[in-house]
Amino acid sequence: MITKWAILLPFFMAILIPILHTRIRKFHLGWVALAVPFILFIALLRFLPQIASGDTISHSWRWIPSYNLTFTTYLDGLSMLFALLITGIGTLVILYSIFYLSKKEALHKFYCYLLLFMTAMLGVVFSDHLIMLYFFWELTSIASFLLIAFWHHRKASRRGAQKSMLITVTGGIIMLMGFLILAHEMDSYSIRTIISTISIENLNRPLYLAMLFVLLGAFTKSAQFPFHIWLPDAMEAPTPVSAYLHSATMVKAGIYIVARFTPIFAYNLSWFWIVSIVGLITLFWGSFNAIKQNDLKALLAFSTVSQLGLIMSLLGMGSVVYATTGEITDVIYTQATFAALFHLVNHSTFKGALFMMVGILDHEVGTRDLRRLGGLITIMPITFSIALIGGFSMAGLPLFNGFLSKEMFFEATLAIQEMNVHSWIVLFPVIAWVASVFTFVYCFILVFKTFFGSADKLPTDRKIHEAPIGMLMSPVILAVSIIFIFFFPNILGKFVIGSAMQSVYPTVQPFEQMTPTIAAWHGFNTALFMTIGVIVFGIILYLSWPKWNRIYNRLPEKWTLNYLYNQLLEEAEIVGKFVTDLYMTGSVRHYLMYIYVFFIFIVGGYFIQSHIFAIDLEDQAPVEWFEILLMFVMAGAAIFLLFAKSRLTAVVSNGVLGLGVAMLFVVFRAPDLALTQLVVESVTTVLFLLSFAYLPEWSKEQKSKATKSMNLLISLTAGALVMAISFTVLNYSEFKTISGFFENAYELAGGANIVNTILGDFRAFDTMLEVVVLLVAGLGVYTLIKFRARKGQKKYED
Amino acid sequence: MNNLVVMPMLIPLCVAVILIFFRTYIKLQKIGVLLAMLLLIVTNIFLLVTVKEQGIQTLYFGGWEAPFGITFVADSFAMLLVLTASIVALCCFLYAFSTLTEDYAKNFAYPLMLFMIAGVNGSFLTGDLFNLFVCFEVMLLASYVLITLGGGKERLRESLKYVIINIFASWLFLVGLAMIYGTLGTLNMAHLAERVHQIHQGPVLTTVALIFLIVFALKAGLFLFYWLPGSYRVPETAIAALFGALLTKVGIYALFRTFTLIFTVQENITHTLIGILACATIILGSFGAIGYRDLRQIVGYNVVIGVGFVLLGLYANQTEALEGAIYYFMHDFIVKALLFLMIGTMIYITGRIRFDEIKGLIHHFPLFGWLFFLMMLSLAGIPPFSGFIGKMLLGVGLVDEGMYITLLLGFLSSIVVLYSLLRVFLKSIFGESMASHQMKKRIPFSMMLAMMLLMICTIGLGVGAEVAAPFVKDAAHVLTNPSVYIQAVLYPEGG
Amino acid sequence: MVCLIGIFVVVATYLLLSKNLIRIILGTALLSHAVHLLILTIGEVKKGDVPLLKETPGPYTDALPQALILTAIVISFAVTAFLLVLAYRVYATNKTDNVEKLRGDEYE
Repeated sequence: MITKWAILLPFFMAILIPILHTRIRKFHLGWVALAVPFILFIALLRFLPQIASGDTISHSWRWIPSYNLTFTTYLDGLSMLFALLITGIGTLVILYSIFYLSKKEALHKFYCYLLLFMTAMLGVVFSDHLIMLYFFWELTSIASFLLIAFWHHRKASRRGAQKSMLITVTGGIIMLMGFLILAHEMDSYSIRTIISTISIENLNRPLYLAMLFVLLGAFTKSAQFPFHIWLPDAMEAPTPVSAYLHSATMVKAGIYIVARFTPIFAYNLSWFWIVSIVGLITLFWGSFNAIKQNDLKALLAFSTVSQLGLIMSLLGMGSVVYATTGEITDVIYTQATFAALFHLVNHSTFKGALFMMVGILDHEVGTRDLRRLGGLITIMPITFSIALIGGFSMAGLPLFNGFLSKEMFFEATLAIQEMNVHSWIVLFPVIAWVASVFTFVYCFILVFKTFFGSADKLPTDRKIHEAPIGMLMSPVILAVSIIFIFFFPNILGKFVIGSAMQSVYPTVQPFEQMTPTIAAWHGFNTALFMTIGVIVFGIILYLSWPKWNRIYNRLPEKWTLNYLYNQLLEEAEIVGKFVTDLYMTGSVRHYLMYIYVFFIFIVGGYFIQSHIFAIDLEDQAPVEWFEILLMFVMAGAAIFLLFAKSRLTAVVSNGVLGLGVAMLFVVFRAPDLALTQLVVESVTTVLFLLSFAYLPEWSKEQKSKATKSMNLLISLTAGALVMAISFTVLNYSEFKTISGFFENAYELAGGANIVNTILGDFRAFDTMLEVVVLLVAGLGVYTLIKFRARKGQKKYED
Repeated sequence: MNNLVVMPMLIPLCVAVILIFFRTYIKLQKIGVLLAMLLLIVTNIFLLVTVKEQGIQTLYFGGWEAPFGITFVADSFAMLLVLTASIVALCCFLYAFSTLTEDYAKNFAYPLMLFMIAGVNGSFLTGDLFNLFVCFEVMLLASYVLITLGGGKERLRESLKYVIINIFASWLFLVGLAMIYGTLGTLNMAHLAERVHQIHQGPVLTTVALIFLIVFALKAGLFLFYWLPGSYRVPETAIAALFGALLTKVGIYALFRTFTLIFTVQENITHTLIGILACATIILGSFGAIGYRDLRQIVGYNVVIGVGFVLLGLYANQTEALEGAIYYFMHDFIVKALLFLMIGTMIYITGRIRFDEIKGLIHHFPLFGWLFFLMMLSLAGIPPFSGFIGKMLLGVGLVDEGMYITLLLGFLSSIVVLYSLLRVFLKSIFGESMASHQMKKRIPFSMMLAMMLLMICTIGLGVGAEVAAPFVKDAAHVLTNPSVYIQAVLYPEGG
Repeated sequence: MVCLIGIFVVVATYLLLSKNLIRIILGTALLSHAVHLLILTIGEVKKGDVPLLKETPGPYTDALPQALILTAIVISFAVTAFLLVLAYRVYATNKTDNVEKLRGDEYE
């Protein structure tokens, strides 16, 4: 039940808020919205002890049972962890937003989107059904799009929203393909069923493909390299959104997928390699780029990218046991995953606090640009403390929770050396260390450049003072939790993360053995030395920053991924137009040529290569001399028609042909046809002549030799093909036709002329419709001549 | 024998003829049209349910049993399409009430639209191949007149191309008919199917099958879609919507019917060719959809992409894929019409046809703006809208057949569709607002009503897909088992 | 007979691919003639008698194709008539009967 309500409550509120917002003018809409995550958080806590002991809660609702689409939810340790994060941080963010966003903004839209997002995110982590997961996944992309484009009159917001939508939705669709393949191979849409039935024997090509697709989806959402480019542009969103979606929750959805699907796909050693390497590259690239950013939000964005890479690589490292042994024999190899989940929580705390801090700066000072900020420590001491706590935690310094998880990270990279998978695995700790140095540098930049240094360049349009208490509440709570977790990590460890481990390693029993006792001091081990090294080198790099920042100019603009992305979109439009214009020339001649050629190739090609051409002249009825003469005359008329110099001769030839056809009808025992043909031909000729009064005389057509020969070629082959097929069909006598039935026309229908009875009785419906056709054509002639629309209507006609 | 089976064609036909006589009484015409469409929809629902409960319904014209007379055959597939077409047509009419001026009404616009609908419904329901030709011609001729209605340089010019190419297609249809009569000696579809299966469709018959493939591909816009973007660009919006939603669908239907009922044996040639063409169509359509800024071009190429996508289901020729194709078919009816109407509305409001000249519509027309957003999501196949279930089932089918590349192509086309409209949304709907004197003040009620109805349909089909499921499954069942169809038509008493 | 049809198709196609509107329309007319004859030919020509029950004894030639052709003739006629008027109107508005000049503004 809890899961159902957790998803439905924010959804209903999301719908209600825009409808009712006009009645709630007195106070900030945020207070109404706040109730949702707050209630949910408390409700979830109620279930925490139950889940923490390894129990699970499940619920299902049928949507389209005919196709096995049911909303099955499953609350276990992993989803509880995420759900607490979503609702907890959600509460703090909404609280923050009440003071951040003024009432002049379109708040009803803002909270509607935000609550929609919350619904979607909770849906993702609670879903057991693959397709439902996809459904909520796309909903998060949509909500994120709406939130990024919240100030849509700004071009940058629109661009950022478009980029995020395109990248994440593409990832989502590819992930869907992966899900479909997975469901097909394992014959089930339920994640836990798949987990329990899959084993290392199931490895095959489709599953490999599914793995790649699912990973692609996860990577796009979690902004892993090279898909990270959407995250910095997403910073156009209001800061509460950045704090919530783009640091604490939505971007962690990909992490959730990787964790959740580890027991499914990790049997492939490729999983380990791909996840870890992508994670490490992202970790490095993000931290490297964060240093050069001038906009604090961009710095935090790249930092988030980097930290997500860190968590991703930890998940990768923790998964290697599946591939190498197939069974988890020693608990130590699962600790990387524990570190990942732990850092997940820690990251949310310090990143959330930092984003809120930057938002405060933006709100109070009016700028986020590092080149202008400085010396704020005296004016905004509390904000400074938040920055200090958050920043140092991110850098991995002791007294803060980041230190604990960073240490565990280093330990994991060292522990993995023993797995013996490949010699290059020795690079893991190296990259981790280098990236951490960079992380240290930008954290220091963040903290010290902003609050120390000269205050000369600060904007002067307002009096700068410390933020109001309302805005400080949430970040302070987060900052306190940072320190709290450092001193009492095991509350988090045992109650929340422990049971989450079970989701990733369901075969390890009892799962409690995977929960380590986290302690700040493990003795003088390699990890500690690495941390000390980070601090030392970090300080050196930070102080020498002006000397080496030229390295960033080495990479020309043209090679950045962002540039490539923009180029791709622009090129796509140009290429699209170019390719289409190539064949869509507007000339009906060309179109007819394409069609003819296609016809000749496909039908003719098949016909020829199946060698079925058959011509049998013996079975024909005797041919009289006048028939041959008639045919020669007609053939002559046809060819003459081709070369006719004036319209009149052409029409006369056509008339001759028509008459010839009528004669042929007589010869071929079809008197009614002959009569009709005569009438129709006469009227047609008259019509042609009538039209000549309005159309110009024609001249010999100017065509190039190439066109002429092409036309000739096409015509000849078309004619030959029709002839060939006709001969073959004539020769085909497998079946008796149904016309034998009609020979009893007199008894059946009371008529002696079989053709007439067919037209008038057996197939009268056709006749009725052909009359309708005539009628419509008549209407058409009338309207064509009479109806010219008045000028006013046609704005785009000339 | 069920007389009701002819109603979907008869009702619009009769009303159209009656309305011709009332050409100056425009209000009367509108009422007549509305009543006709409502009656049509009710009849269709009734028929659909009857088919589900009692099996395929047939009507032998004149009492002449198959295969000697003409038969109308209503199976779930045909009825689902007829019903969806009627609902969509109703919405197009509602829209037309505001946009078609008096002149159009006096010049038989409404009767012509009804004629076209009659032709479409007849094509869906007929069980006789020559009758299919005739119904096509009814529909086509009505479309020829409709596309030229109102005159004007550009319109007449594009109409000419449309007519010429269709004449060729009709000619080829006749050639095919001649060939098929010459080989199999009958015109009734069930009888044809029976005979083809008897001799296992040799190469001669496959040649004939290929001829029909080309004919229907021309009508459907499968690979041979050159006439499409130009022709859909020029008529009045309501008419263009009717075209975009209905015309190509008849061709697609014909492809599905002939290649699941009659020419089912040589799949490796016919169905593979269809698959290749479908993929090529998707690719070419994608190029077109993102290459232009003219709104009407974007829409036209989106139609092309949709055609290719649906036919992937025929290529896979497997139960889930066919079910997906049927769902997507219905979804495409609704959403393409909606797309046309929305683009038309944008042009109506601003008088511009390029989307980079239109800005910030959401400020003045919030409801419209959000409808556009939802439509965009539905078109891209995002759940819970109607496109998703079709896409998903198609995906299941393709995976089952191991056609991964096709799966990738089909699904990625959704991104192209999304992108082609996202550009429009971000520029024209979101964004700074245009000066208000450049725009009309409000959108007339019946236009909004039409669009909202369609939106409700797409949401309904998506969320309530379960309701349609038994009918869809039944339809796919008939498609995969031609003997059911043959039995119902040729041997209704059993035997 | 089939050869005649073949010749018709050749000429008609050539005409259809030309630039002048009238030639194109003539091409379509010729195509119609061709296919009408084709349907007749396929129905096993001249094997039997004229299908008039009272006038001639059996066996009769195949009457069904004849009925089909009749319908086709009428429909082709309707279309040709419409096409001619359309051509006239196109000429009146676009001032040209050359199909190449009718490509459309964007493409020029």
